[in-house]
Amino acid sequence: MEEHYQHLYEALTQVDGYIYPNEIDLHWGLMIVLYPYITGLVAGAFILASLERVFNIKALKPTYGLALLTALAFLFVATLPLVSHLQHPFRSYEIFMTPNPTSAMAIFGFVYLWYLMVVLLLEIWFDYRRDFVIWSKTSTGFKKIFYKLITLGINETDEKSAKLDDKLGYFVTVLGIPSAFLLHGYVGFIFGSIKANPWWSTVLMPVIFLFSAMVSGIALVMLVYMVVSWVRKVKIDMLCLDTIAKYLFYILIIDFTLESLDQIHRLYEAEESFDIIKVLVGGKLNITLIYMQVIFGTIIPLSIIGFFQIYKPSEKIRKIAYFFIGIIVLIGIFFMRWNVVIGGQLFSKSLSGFTSFKAVYSGMEGYLMSAVWLILPLLILTFLLWLMPPWKKVSTHE
Amino acid sequence: MGTERIKKNRRTFFKTSAALISGTLLYSLMKPFEGLAQTKEEDIQEDKTNFPLWGMGVDLESCIGCGKCAEACKIENNVPIEPFYFRTWVEQYTVKNNGEVKIESPNGGIGGLKQSVPDEEIFKSFMVPKLCNHCTKAPCVQACPVGATFISPDGVVLVDETYCIGCSYCIQACPYGARYMNPVTKVADKCTFCYHRISKGLQPACVEVCPTDARIFGNLKDKKSDLVKFLQNNPTQVLKPHLNTHSRVFYNGLSSEVK
Amino acid sequence: MPKIIFRLLLSFIVFVTVFVLIQQYLTPNSFGKYGHYRADAIDDNKMRTSYYKGEESCVTCHQDVYDLKSEDVHDRVRCESCHFPKIAGSVDCEVMPPKVEGTLEFCAQCHAINLGRLKKGVPQLDFKEHKGDQNCIECHNVHAPWELKE
Repeated sequence: MEEHYQHLYEALTQVDGYIYPNEIDLHWGLMIVLYPYITGLVAGAFILASLERVFNIKALKPTYGLALLTALAFLFVATLPLVSHLQHPFRSYEIFMTPNPTSAMAIFGFVYLWYLMVVLLLEIWFDYRRDFVIWSKTSTGFKKIFYKLITLGINETDEKSAKLDDKLGYFVTVLGIPSAFLLHGYVGFIFGSIKANPWWSTVLMPVIFLFSAMVSGIALVMLVYMVVSWVRKVKIDMLCLDTIAKYLFYILIIDFTLESLDQIHRLYEAEESFDIIKVLVGGKLNITLIYMQVIFGTIIPLSIIGFFQIYKPSEKIRKIAYFFIGIIVLIGIFFMRWNVVIGGQLFSKSLSGFTSFKAVYSGMEGYLMSAVWLILPLLILTFLLWLMPPWKKVSTHE
Repeated sequence: MGTERIKKNRRTFFKTSAALISGTLLYSLMKPFEGLAQTKEEDIQEDKTNFPLWGMGVDLESCIGCGKCAEACKIENNVPIEPFYFRTWVEQYTVKNNGEVKIESPNGGIGGLKQSVPDEEIFKSFMVPKLCNHCTKAPCVQACPVGATFISPDGVVLVDETYCIGCSYCIQACPYGARYMNPVTKVADKCTFCYHRISKGLQPACVEVCPTDARIFGNLKDKKSDLVKFLQNNPTQVLKPHLNTHSRVFYNGLSSEVK
Repeated sequence: MPKIIFRLLLSFIVFVTVFVLIQQYLTPNSFGKYGHYRADAIDDNKMRTSYYKGEESCVTCHQDVYDLKSEDVHDRVRCESCHFPKIAGSVDCEVMPPKVEGTLEFCAQCHAINLGRLKKGVPQLDFKEHKGDQNCIECHNVHAPWELKE
């Protein structure tokens, strides 16, 4: 407690202008920056998979299974930063028991459950079912037990059942697209519906969150595909990689357009909150917004991939470029979440002053904890890829 | 023949379990509506007319910024002494001759507000007490994911301390900065109009100690109350009316500089 | 219906049933009575301890002081504005009398000069100009300030 007060007394000396006395402490920190980031990765990876399954972009086939497993690995971790942020995590079951119908946050439990069970797990199950049956016959030990259990006793491997799996999987994917929109759109709505905070309160918020989620998910799958291929020492399908980069380009353009629209609208209308927001963007958010999010995370990737659409350099250069772009896009989108969550709390609702955010390394809201939540899904993904390798699949959908 | 018997048994098994499950499902779905169906409607209608509707008036022409209200509130409601948690506080506005507005609230005004700008530079100065506005359309109540903050039947926005999960969404949703996270109980906290006092016929602590009667508490439904007379005799305003929160804290003498 | 769909549908229905049952069990009893909240919380909020007792309670023993105060300009300042009800954790004024330190700083809370206090009916002074560092109570009777001691 003493340490906490010490930190607050320091923050008091850093106040610029006037803030309401209760606003000295930022209530939503790194954990709340991470949660939209992780669910965004899930939604984005899923959309990439659905591009192949529903929209029949065949070039993306090598990444279909990979994208689904990436989405699953990150979805397992998604709740954790949220629950660890609560002051009373053991009461979190209340969100399932008495969800408030007027609260956007209350949707969380149900949308998460629905997406995890009915969309992702089912789709993966339908896609892998036949392989599980076949693999259960040829493997030993843990894998054998797992495969036998997961088939749920449905052991048909004939053409008819394969066709049924296919149809059902397709149906689930189609259902999954609006579900993915809901999974991440509601997060945007959580911010967008707060009329008290002018930095958050915009109609475009759910849409911006959704498109930036798609950007981050696609970049993630691109990176994962490159890394996994390198680890397995297999040749990367350049057509696939180029197609992923192309879709990243298109969606990044839409994302950039939406965010620019939001800012231009603010600039033009210049209503009451504009004066403080102008100082916010030029001051405390200068590096994280202008440099990290816009220039580094959006303009540079757009320029490079855009250039590639006109002139395609050699495969080697493209691979290096895509790897670099994947990383900077992921960083840029992380900072987009940072700018929304932290930025929205840095200025006072009196529109007359700023408080400060002190980054900590240890503790539940620290950098170390964030690193854990980001590395854990990668470990889970490695485990999933060992358990259900997409490249060893015997049957793939039409 | 044996398989037919097996099939029949399996069929009966599925039928009975389907019946049992759907029966339980239906029953459990009915249960919440059961409570609704009976007398709830009549009870509420009857009670609602008997409940008062609490509100507060703040006379900015009387407030001297002594800070006694903020201090008394902390004592009465066990709010941590540290200058980071306030259920109510007083702001000092100093409009300078060059048009600049300086707003300050050191320790919420406890100890008395002192002027930091030299007299020659001051165009005008005034004090504004702030507190939870107990909005009839409270954005905090709308935002709470579990129903831990609510509007009581007599119009007071309260927090259920045993139910709050500490997500801070209500704190983000409040446009007036009236809420804070209590470091001891680890739940959201705020002014309750001293609900434990007003339910016994006493005044809230801040009203009790105000030496200039700048705070007027009362029942908006009582035409004879001081509060209703205050509203009738003065041009009153609420804070941030454009947000349509239907705040029930009314200010007399609210100048346009007030944030 | 193919076995696969039947089994999945069945598990879904079972899951929803179990969920609803758990929900019934875990939701607090008074929840939903007046609205989407635990109605017992209203009583919880009413049950808190009160420290400020109100002027009538002081008057039962200190009628004389009250009468003195009523004749002078501090008449509308209630007792507990200055006399804190809780001293060293005790609210019993017989055990811990709520004595006030009549220091300059204490009176300055209301009476120190501040342009924001102009024309509000409360006399303001520059304390240094007035009587230097002398405490107010050396000349003024606190409950009847215009009854000067000299």
